[in-house]
Amino acid sequence: MSGEFYLFRGCLIPTRLPFLERSSLFVLDKLGIRHEPLPGATCCVEPIGLRSLALDTWLVTAARMLSIAERGGKDILTLCNGCYVSLKEARHVLESKEERDRVNSILDEVGMEYKGTADVHHLCGTLKDMESRIRSFVVSPQENLRVAVHPGCHIVRPSAVTSIDPRFSPHVLSDIAKWVGSEVAYSEDWPKCCGGGISGISDEISAGVLEDSVKEFKGAGANTIITPCPFCFVQFDIKQKEGLPVLYISELLALAFGAAPESIGMKYHRTKVVV
Amino acid sequence: MKISVMDPSLPGALQKILPEMDLWKCHQCGQCSGVCPSFQHGGIRTREIIERASVGALELSKDSSIWLCMMCQGCTERCQLGVDPATVITLIRNLAAEAGNRPDHFAEEAKLFIDTGLSFPKTGLTKKLRKEMGLNELEVDRSSLEDLKVIVEKTRLGRVKLER
Repeated sequence: MSGEFYLFRGCLIPTRLPFLERSSLFVLDKLGIRHEPLPGATCCVEPIGLRSLALDTWLVTAARMLSIAERGGKDILTLCNGCYVSLKEARHVLESKEERDRVNSILDEVGMEYKGTADVHHLCGTLKDMESRIRSFVVSPQENLRVAVHPGCHIVRPSAVTSIDPRFSPHVLSDIAKWVGSEVAYSEDWPKCCGGGISGISDEISAGVLEDSVKEFKGAGANTIITPCPFCFVQFDIKQKEGLPVLYISELLALAFGAAPESIGMKYHRTKVVV
Repeated sequence: MKISVMDPSLPGALQKILPEMDLWKCHQCGQCSGVCPSFQHGGIRTREIIERASVGALELSKDSSIWLCMMCQGCTERCQLGVDPATVITLIRNLAAEAGNRPDHFAEEAKLFIDTGLSFPKTGLTKKLRKEMGLNELEVDRSSLEDLKVIVEKTRLGRVKLER
């Protein structure tokens, strides 16, 4: 079976949040976005901790995955802001011939070569051009939701690398929420950090940063948070103390498209969503 | 000249890597710290890190504040002088890690990455949830793990001490 994209699931979704993988597959299939798993996929390299330990390890590992994709002639589709920025930024760095040569001298030892022909997309970026198709599949408008829209840092930053939304006042996620009938109660003008990047390093700072966001969401009258990032999802669903439920982007769409909540694992949310 | 001041006692590694960054462009305006969510909660002082890096006044093997950055990239986005603090911090962290200064949390993650190809552990719950959701078994194939081994050996991660 061939596909339009190589689906790159990353690490966090398939290990800790498989229900998000399920709703993503539901939405991709419903919208007719063809995909197959990226063969030989490993971690992207995770861009906050691992990349901080070893930039060159990150670059070569990401280049390996990109070269697998280009050999198969397909772009990569990610479900995670971390994977998106990691692979997209690697692509950006590898525009330099010097970096490319350095990376290829190592890739050569595993029988691969990076050329730079396969691009990287985030689910959000793929959905943004599908308004009429998305609207046409809505059978259960999510009209009870007054959403706070949280794109996550790496949808928009660094803007020299990302290509989904403007760095100030991003609107893709708000647009999608409106297409499925939800009201947007709060939209971040400057995408906030969820605090996930130092969870496990300084839980105190992490919790403070998280609380800053949630307070603003609550103050604006939101009853649900929407995010396209599994790291942000974990912060909101598990670490948050205010009790505001969160939906990952594919869950919002799957529910609007009529998926039964139990079929997409809604019961695995720690902060329960009333659906 | 790219760095305005260079302390001769600056570790060789820092001397080699930081001149590639345009630290001299920094006017200490503080936009980086102003937008930093960690700083707002008493975490990393980005403006000071840039100043310290440019004069070599950073103790790579000891400074724990460099690990309080969440890599939100806000500083890099707001810096109008092109200093790219997030990348400077990343490079400093790379050198610090090689000097033995890294959070155990990230060392554990690195070990997991090298052993399994993934940055998060596959647990009993992973298996249960995947089965319930009708998803295939999660496995990084042997040949990819072999590739990873070669890559790690040839790059910096192979030189970072990961044991406590």
